[in-house]
Amino acid sequence: MDFSLIWHNIAELLTYQKDAPMIFSSGIFWALFIVFMPVYAMLKERRWQMLVFVVAFSLYFYYKSSGVFFLLLVGTSLLDWTLSKVLVRQKTELKRKLCVAVSVAASLSVLCYFKYANFFMWNWSMMVNGNFQPLDIILPVGISFYTFQSISYIVDVYKGRVKPTDTWLEYAFFLSFFPALVAGPIVRADYFLPQIKDNTRATQEEIYYGFWLIILGVIKKSLIADYISQYNDLIFANPTGYTGLESLMGVIGYTMQIYCDFSGYSDMAIGIALIMGFKLSANFDFPYKSLNLTEFWRRWHISLSSWLRDYVYIPLGGNRKGTFRTYVNNFLTMLIGGLWHGAAWKFVFWGAMHGAGLAVHKASKPWLSRIPDKWWVRSVCWAITIIYVSLLWVFFRADSWMDSWLIIKNIFSNFHIDYLPVFVEVRYVWCILMSVIIIAHALPKRWWALAGERFVRSPWIVKLAVFLIVVQLVVQFMSEDVSPFIYFQF
Amino acid sequence: MKKYFGFWAILVISFAIFLTLSGFDSIKVGGFELRSSGMIDRLTKAPDTAVVAHDSLACMPDTVVEQPKEVDETPQTILFIGDSMLEGLSPRLAAYAEANGHTLYSVIWYSSTSEVWGETTKLQEYIEEFKPTYVFISLGANELFVRNIAERRDKFVKNIISQIGNLPYVWIGPPNWKPDTGINDLIAKNARNGSFFLSNGMHFDRAKDGAHPTRKSAGLWMDSVARWMPEHAAHPIKMDKPEAAKARPKRVIILQPKK
Repeated sequence: MDFSLIWHNIAELLTYQKDAPMIFSSGIFWALFIVFMPVYAMLKERRWQMLVFVVAFSLYFYYKSSGVFFLLLVGTSLLDWTLSKVLVRQKTELKRKLCVAVSVAASLSVLCYFKYANFFMWNWSMMVNGNFQPLDIILPVGISFYTFQSISYIVDVYKGRVKPTDTWLEYAFFLSFFPALVAGPIVRADYFLPQIKDNTRATQEEIYYGFWLIILGVIKKSLIADYISQYNDLIFANPTGYTGLESLMGVIGYTMQIYCDFSGYSDMAIGIALIMGFKLSANFDFPYKSLNLTEFWRRWHISLSSWLRDYVYIPLGGNRKGTFRTYVNNFLTMLIGGLWHGAAWKFVFWGAMHGAGLAVHKASKPWLSRIPDKWWVRSVCWAITIIYVSLLWVFFRADSWMDSWLIIKNIFSNFHIDYLPVFVEVRYVWCILMSVIIIAHALPKRWWALAGERFVRSPWIVKLAVFLIVVQLVVQFMSEDVSPFIYFQF
Repeated sequence: MKKYFGFWAILVISFAIFLTLSGFDSIKVGGFELRSSGMIDRLTKAPDTAVVAHDSLACMPDTVVEQPKEVDETPQTILFIGDSMLEGLSPRLAAYAEANGHTLYSVIWYSSTSEVWGETTKLQEYIEEFKPTYVFISLGANELFVRNIAERRDKFVKNIISQIGNLPYVWIGPPNWKPDTGINDLIAKNARNGSFFLSNGMHFDRAKDGAHPTRKSAGLWMDSVARWMPEHAAHPIKMDKPEAAKARPKRVIILQPKK
């Protein structure tokens, strides 16, 4: 056995690799977490040592995902914390506001440069007929998430909702907390900082409930989302190359994929945090059960929508300035929410359409409230909501406007139901996984709570067996390709 | 500390089990094959090893060009036609095209064979439509086991090549999963020197149908073609390795199987 080769490979795994960010479902994360856990457990009672250890691990986690950009995170945290300390000492409102403005401007400038510089320049060059040469900018992982956390902190300090942390270390812990660092949930200072102070220990039940969430997250993200995405990718890569039925399946597939992907990762983050004794707020609450768009946004990416509500919608005036302004504020908030998802017009459009949908729903409320609450009314409401949301995912996912329209057009103009049996026969694994997630999503919430409780109370050996089975299933499906073709022969 | 022990033990035991199992080639439980997590492979892999086990340059029969040609640096319009193997090859070739200033058009005719293409004038029609300066072909996978293939398909292979006319081309041979009955020899015999890339003998990771290379493996297959071209193709074009793993051709045309 060549040990030098093994050491070389381990060193390679532990250093920053451009195309291999550290994610919770990766083997390298779990190997490190096995080392992290006992040290953390030992240090948990010694608060300061625990803080130093977790901040160091979080920064390493960020380095592994974004290389030297972990220094940016350190810089942002230092600036925010210093300004928050300066802010509370100021007597005049103007100076206090200035501190907030500097902190928010600094955070947003960094975000704008890394995420939106090329987008703005491209648009500018289109307006002036210039020759656009994109800057070679690498987007640091998770920057959109921690920028929003940083803004919420300074605003909350200004509003008096939280006191600035005594030390930079505590603030760095909040900003860089690795479970929520790269993909949320967006942690709010007023919710999280007291937990750092209290340093509550996780109970045995919480540890295993966290483990349960991790297992659910692995199933959603690594098993279902990663597998079904292969087929969806084919459809979106070649919008006219498939029948309408196949395109429709691709759209339904992507609707479930984005939910499984994102909510699965959130589940893992919340589970890991819970195991460490920290509670993160829920990020998804069975969003596709929503009966209207307003409800959808209360259930989808909750940490983002509540952040947007508190730091964009309400400061814009919320619903306090008349009906028309309420709709405009709603629309603008969703526009910003759309742009937050990515630097492209398709995201702006996606956000705008959700904003418009919310405004229409709000405007229709007096009329809607007169409709009797019958099962068929709820069914129609649900159908309208899910169709609207799914159609907008097409614009979110497709590479261009043209592709989006082609896919939608294909569904309506080239639809042949007789392809269905062949489709099911050839892509049966995809169909099974889709059925599993659709049924699982439709089950009552209390069933899931019950399943979680059962898991927590189950014998240790059962937990081990469940984990082994889930990981092996992930391994089985990892190298499994979805059949790209409806025809068995190629 | 004690509270964490049970959870931590689950992680450690699971990790140890998967690490140990990854040292075995194949494990079957009740006839069901358990796949390996690949942990040991990842730890012991030599730097920069590719999925392609051996270089196909070593097994090019009569098609090796003796003198390396000068690489044509001009941007090309590439037409890539063939069977379903294009699903894997085309995105990678599109990445090469994008990185090297070429324009790629792909035509995927599912279940097609040299016979299907050879008895029609489709290729000629696409050449007229897209005006390519270079043609790639990937055909032969659907006729690996045809008996008396030399007699039955010779005229079709000849017809395909004649439709290409004087355009430079590369015919990427099928990725055999079993020995063929002569399709590779047939193409090699008819193709111009330095225009046939023999894929037979290369190692591929296969999709579950056991025939198609996985996406990753198909990408590496295309990389092998690109590496082969500068020294062995009759008309090498600029094929610097792209950073992107895949891209989209300018246009993809899908033709459904002939009934």
